[in-house]
Amino acid sequence: MSETETGTETGTDIVAEHPGETLEQHEQRMHEIAPRPELLPMLPGEIKPHPKPRDYVLIAVVLCILTAIEVGLYYLEGDVNDNLLIAMLIVLAVVKFFLVCSWYMHMRTDQPFFKRIFVVGIVLAMIVYGIAIATFASTIPSEL
Amino acid sequence: MAQAIAAPSDSTELVPAAGDHGHAHHATNTGVSNAKLGMWVFLSSEALFFGAFISTYFLYRGRDEEVGNPGPRPREVYDIAFTSVTSFVLLMSSLTMVLALAAIQRGDHRRLRIWLLATAFFGMVFIGGQVFEFTEFYREGLSLHTNLFGSTFFTLTGLHGAHVTMGIIWLLVLWGRSMQGRLHTEHAEAIEISGLYWHFVDVVWIVIFTAIYLVPQN
Repeated sequence: MSETETGTETGTDIVAEHPGETLEQHEQRMHEIAPRPELLPMLPGEIKPHPKPRDYVLIAVVLCILTAIEVGLYYLEGDVNDNLLIAMLIVLAVVKFFLVCSWYMHMRTDQPFFKRIFVVGIVLAMIVYGIAIATFASTIPSEL
Repeated sequence: MAQAIAAPSDSTELVPAAGDHGHAHHATNTGVSNAKLGMWVFLSSEALFFGAFISTYFLYRGRDEEVGNPGPRPREVYDIAFTSVTSFVLLMSSLTMVLALAAIQRGDHRRLRIWLLATAFFGMVFIGGQVFEFTEFYREGLSLHTNLFGSTFFTLTGLHGAHVTMGIIWLLVLWGRSMQGRLHTEHAEAIEISGLYWHFVDVVWIVIFTAIYLVPQN
């Protein structure tokens, strides 16, 4: 049985072994031999396979629900203590942030090195601008 | 499954990755993809870039009242329902982006193009919403020069919008390459790298939407 029949044909082979085919024929053939979603190949350097498309959709549903809660909280302003409201909004934003980074940016499945680089930028930004806000917050009004 | 490159190497020849269904890439000194590494470093620097504008917004937040600057205040111009819809659209564009990546990984180029176009379309809807919002604010008397709120708001959200616009152009270029048959399954990493940029723009908006629009002003 050929590689094509077993569905394990590689991208390089496709180009090399079917030089005369049109784009439509190529796409039709790729569609037929495409592996199932649960067999998504890993990209170079990744340590785990990507989530399935179904998982991506589930994450999107969770993100929608969290956004709806955020917007709902906005309309509770005045009815709920402002500090509590701010804390809840921050928690929701942080959860959404981590969901997108982990699942959609594939921090869960990619090399930890990339995650560290990104985290360094985030932490550095928080420290630098935290210091800036703490330093200038009390002085700016008198300097305007 | 084995990692694509097990050990650092000086070689720049194409190394077929073991068990990766035909993906091949250049060996690098670091053992990780240079293109992806470059994008992550760029995104890390972008965190500092946007951090500067977000913290500036917070530094000047509510100061217009203290110094008696004229012009509308945030609560007078915001339309949270409208901005929530555009935020939702941008969030959904992240879903279509990962579906585009999954499609090219499966070798399904028809769906790749559909999802790329859908992502670009959602991005354009977001930008259209932002243009409408800016126009409405201007009609209500808020411009870049009106007061501190106007300066910090338009600068921050405008720069974010510029990033989204760049992302849309990038997606359309990828879509065009796919239409020409120049984007094959082994180029999945190109889609992932553009996706990293797109998702970053999305997470920045998650922060902006909460910090600028939703957090109580007083």
